[in-house]
Amino acid sequence: MSRFFERYEPETRQFFDEVITHEGAPRPHYDKMLQRFGQFSLDDIKSRREIVNIFFRNQGITFTVYGEDEGVERLFPFDLIPRVVPAHEWETIEKGLIQRITALNEFLNDIYHGQKILKEKIIPAELILGSQHFRREFVGVNPPLGIYIHVTGSDIIRDREGKYLVLEDNLRTPSGVSYMLQNRQAMKRAFPVLFDKYKIRPIENYPQELLRTLQEIGPSSRREPNVVVLTPGIYNSAYFEHSFLARQMGVELTEGKDLVVNNNKVYTRTTRGLEQVDVIYRRVDDAYIDPLVFRPDSKLGVAGLVNAYRKGNVTLANAIGCGVADDKVIYSFVPKIIKYYLGEEPILENVPTWLASNPADLKYILANLDSLVVKAANESGGYGMLIGPESTIEEQEKFAEMIVANPRNYIAQPTISLSRHPSFFNDTELWGCHIDLRPYVLYGKTITIVPGGLTRVALKRGSLVVNSSQGGGSKDTWVVDE
Amino acid sequence: MLSRVAESLFWMSRYFERAENTARFLDVNFNLLLDLNKIIHVENPNYWIALILVTSDKERFNSLYDEYSASTVTDYLVFNKNNPNSITSCVSLARENGRSIIESISSEMWEQVNNLYHYLQSVTPQLVHNDPYSFYKEIKNASHLFQGITDNTFSHNEGWDFIQIAKYLERTDNIARLIDVKYHMLLSEAQNEDEIVEGTEDIIQWMAVLKSCSALEAFRKVYLSKIDPDNILRFLILDRTFPRSINFSVCAAEDALWRISGSSRHRYVNNADRLIGKLEAELSYTAIEDIYTKGLHHYLEDLEQRLVKVGEQVHLTYFAYHTPEIEPVDIEEALPFTGVAGGRAYWSQAQQHQQQQQQ
Repeated sequence: MSRFFERYEPETRQFFDEVITHEGAPRPHYDKMLQRFGQFSLDDIKSRREIVNIFFRNQGITFTVYGEDEGVERLFPFDLIPRVVPAHEWETIEKGLIQRITALNEFLNDIYHGQKILKEKIIPAELILGSQHFRREFVGVNPPLGIYIHVTGSDIIRDREGKYLVLEDNLRTPSGVSYMLQNRQAMKRAFPVLFDKYKIRPIENYPQELLRTLQEIGPSSRREPNVVVLTPGIYNSAYFEHSFLARQMGVELTEGKDLVVNNNKVYTRTTRGLEQVDVIYRRVDDAYIDPLVFRPDSKLGVAGLVNAYRKGNVTLANAIGCGVADDKVIYSFVPKIIKYYLGEEPILENVPTWLASNPADLKYILANLDSLVVKAANESGGYGMLIGPESTIEEQEKFAEMIVANPRNYIAQPTISLSRHPSFFNDTELWGCHIDLRPYVLYGKTITIVPGGLTRVALKRGSLVVNSSQGGGSKDTWVVDE
Repeated sequence: MLSRVAESLFWMSRYFERAENTARFLDVNFNLLLDLNKIIHVENPNYWIALILVTSDKERFNSLYDEYSASTVTDYLVFNKNNPNSITSCVSLARENGRSIIESISSEMWEQVNNLYHYLQSVTPQLVHNDPYSFYKEIKNASHLFQGITDNTFSHNEGWDFIQIAKYLERTDNIARLIDVKYHMLLSEAQNEDEIVEGTEDIIQWMAVLKSCSALEAFRKVYLSKIDPDNILRFLILDRTFPRSINFSVCAAEDALWRISGSSRHRYVNNADRLIGKLEAELSYTAIEDIYTKGLHHYLEDLEQRLVKVGEQVHLTYFAYHTPEIEPVDIEEALPFTGVAGGRAYWSQAQQHQQQQQQ
């Protein structure tokens, strides 16, 4: 084992370590990596860190943290040690996600049409109809090919035994795919030799696959669909990604004010007049997308867009109203949803979840606040969360009040010790940091998953929160053929 | 090309050029004061009032400062954030416009806008006071570098043409104002226009005007050392080959506009092309005597008005949302022009907040 790993403490009694087994030996798919890192001195690591930083800075890969000084842009923290997923494990993830996304799409189709699953009382109707993401304006609308969730990114974690579990589905506008692509580029620059030693499946075709998917879902009447990306604007934290994807696909990056609707058709305003748009990869939330239908104070949307969509003159990716299926309460029903629509057992399991809206569960949650993770159903980005074991009594009491006041809005899960992966701290020593995995699923005529995804890593010691807004970083993710 | 992108390219370029020209305005005054040092009392506020008059900001200036002096005028035109035309404001606005279309411009262009922005953040009034020459040179060079980078890293297609239109419209306007500074200086000495006489210091003033356009050497190659007002005006207004003459700049703006629309000498397709074509044709057949007949100051004022009209028409033709059905028939009743604070420089708080709220 290399000098860096000699001092590495995997603490396998408490955690599942991605690199070291419970017996203390390196896992076979990490052998070559450990050898290679063993040849590096501290200075080697430093110089490679420099290569990576320059690459990220030149690419303008930064993110904005809200609440601090305005316009503060930071480099996205990046860990130099890549995560390796062996092909056989990837097979399970891939199959599991295809199954899950297929079922969730069926579910959305049902919710916005016959609502069979509610009538048969598999899911309590009030959970759906009362959800703030259920869009009754959208009932009965037929998106092309019957697809609602064209681009998704489910968060996957591993428990103490190393079993892959789905933690959450992001069916609206999952971000981070540009980091996945750029991380790979950065690694290629800094560690070319390592790439020689592994058969790493490529991910570089993601933008082409995304464009193909978007073209496949265009209105059937238009032969060569005109695709655009719709961004909230330069102050959005994911603006870099929006502009990156537009550039990579070679399509226009638009803001709400670049689009106009006339006769239920959507156009871009160009210097040569109006040009019709067929598919909008939108990164603006439902609530802001059309001031005539949703929030009237929206300054980011396009008036008339929803009607154009209902007429079938333009396709939105993702469809309107998908949020109803990635709500953290609905999440707990996904295994039932899979069974109901596909008649199959889930390949990827859920994390056990208690619903505060269920009286028996509520009692359990309130009694065990100090050991559970409580989440608000509609929050994301690691906000609105109580991590029991790390919380104070006051915080627990505050949450108890909020839960009792609005039980529909809360769920609780056991504190799962996410698997850990050695990561460089200050580029001098290795430390086990908790990680998750977000693969990106594209759903057009077929479902495509680029092999890999974004591995997010909690770069604060002991922290379980991997979100970039809360001190998380990322690492390159390699799916390797053995 | 998206109208928004075209508009941001236009304003990025225009603000950059404006920053350079403001630096030139100030530079000409420092040149003057150095040259006149031995002849007259240089703390004469008239030399500073003139700068404020030509940038048409007298009221705003008076609301911010008590007197016209080297330090107040410099502060107003270089640093003041309440003055949308100060060098600092212009560079910030150029950067904001560039930032919003960062995927459309070359990364080298963005880097250069950014560099100048950060340089300006580090400059203090003391530094400008101690070495004005170097400071203004820095600004001018940054602008030249930006143009060179743009020409060599950015495709010469429609977007580049919008950059050119903005640059040359702005430059024409500024040359006209720069010549006008001279008029205002003379006027403030005399009681009324009839009393304007040419004295000893006159030639020195005209030389300063030439220098501030980097035109002294080019002028001498044409007119040798015959520095008299007729020749200087002929050169700065009517010369067709010098890049900081009015005629040259109007021709360049015209070329860019015509490349975009496909207009030609005998056929125009929109009002912007028509107005710029008319201006160019007139300049081609104007003699210096015609300008005197009209009166220099009135001639320049009229020119500035017509440039504003061209700008309005560019805005209407390419940037404003319109469909054929609602296209204004009468150009006098056209939609309002966004003016100096155009482009997308200003985001409302609400808009910014909403952008941040999105996942």
